[in-house]
Amino acid sequence: MSKEKEPIFSAKNLKYLTGPFSANNPVIVQILGICSALAVTVQLKPAIVMALSVTVVTAFSNLVMSLLRNGVPSRIRIIVQLVVIAALVILVDQVLKAYVYDVSKQLSVYVGLIITNCIVMGRVEAFALGNKPWPAFLDGIGNGLGYGMILVTVAFFRELLGSGTLLGLRVIPESWYVAEGGFYANNGLMLFPPMALIIVGCIIWIHRSRNKDLQEK
Amino acid sequence: MNKNSNSYIVIYATVMVVVVATLLAVAAMALKSRQNANVLNEKKDAILEALSASDRDYDAYVTAYAVDAEGARIDGVTGDEALQMLFDLKGAFGAGRYPVFEAEDGRIVLPVTGSGLWGPIWGYVALEQDMNTVAGAVFGHASETPGLGAEIATPKHQALYVGKTLFEGNDFVSVTLRKGGAKDPAHEVDAITGGTKTSDGVTAMLRASLGAYVPMLEAKRAAAAAAAATECETNNAENNE
Repeated sequence: MSKEKEPIFSAKNLKYLTGPFSANNPVIVQILGICSALAVTVQLKPAIVMALSVTVVTAFSNLVMSLLRNGVPSRIRIIVQLVVIAALVILVDQVLKAYVYDVSKQLSVYVGLIITNCIVMGRVEAFALGNKPWPAFLDGIGNGLGYGMILVTVAFFRELLGSGTLLGLRVIPESWYVAEGGFYANNGLMLFPPMALIIVGCIIWIHRSRNKDLQEK
Repeated sequence: MNKNSNSYIVIYATVMVVVVATLLAVAAMALKSRQNANVLNEKKDAILEALSASDRDYDAYVTAYAVDAEGARIDGVTGDEALQMLFDLKGAFGAGRYPVFEAEDGRIVLPVTGSGLWGPIWGYVALEQDMNTVAGAVFGHASETPGLGAEIATPKHQALYVGKTLFEGNDFVSVTLRKGGAKDPAHEVDAITGGTKTSDGVTAMLRASLGAYVPMLEAKRAAAAAAAATECETNNAENNE
């Protein structure tokens, strides 16, 4: 490897970790992982579970693919990536099922969504195949968290305005509702996938207006 | 070595597939018994939950057996075998074997199985001693939409079933999830907003699965009525003495 030893958290490495939080965010800048952002953001809790799982999977699939990068034949690299990611996810799911059954039940719906999440393959293809394991690992964590931030933000608004709850706890008092003689009604549109797209669109709008270098001329 | 030669690619792919397959197979085999134990515990917990007796010990509180399509108890089916039927309930129903979980106090839990919008749904319906009134219901699902169809598995939705009755007089009417809100307070509950397909699935599941138990329920109701009549006479006789 390199002759001079680079510090583990050098400025360059830290940039791999924090870049995806804002300037290079996978969802709102790279526009990856939109499909799962629609599916799991009706409530806050599944969004958090999904965010954590994707972070773990991107980190480790990046790590594994980066270790394998010199041996992978470039013609079948996508297939190799898919096998590595799918095997990792299934393995983790099997272990969770045996030892922490409750967590695995929470994840059941998402296992398939994680395997097919474009962020995982996108980062492996774009970053891990051309970089050393440690930066690749950091890039995976950074992108997973960047994805998670957007997911949680969208889920926050969808659950609050769509169900009047946060993490299942009631935030908007029952007495405000029309059914109880109040003035308030939940926005049913928030429960449907199109609203996630609209919220993501609003986030992209705000984000671009504050980042001059992202704006197209 | 040329990494893009055909032979390298074929060998690489073969080795990769064999390694990954072995790894997954070993993991699945090694963890199988623990996973099954977890699933079985979950089923026991769900049965106790349907009975609102989560604090009780399943093995001491519940007796499991199986009945046939005519409602007669099948001899020789142990409690464990009845529990194992839950792993393939559709298969057991198809083979004419219907597991029943009877609590110490005479209430029973019937397993139900059906299809939601995206995948299988299942549940446990507990009936009071009158074999008519729902004492509790627990539902589960594999992949219904969170926040919509998946609401069937929430305590809030499951609480709606308590007190509903399966029979109108002597006719089996089951419990229906009605879109727009329940109209008949005895046999209907509110369907889930935005989860109509899943709600329809639950309605169909209750009708089909509980319907399969009707001969047994009717026999038990008749027996209970007869017992009540005899008891009444005995009481009268005692009073006369």
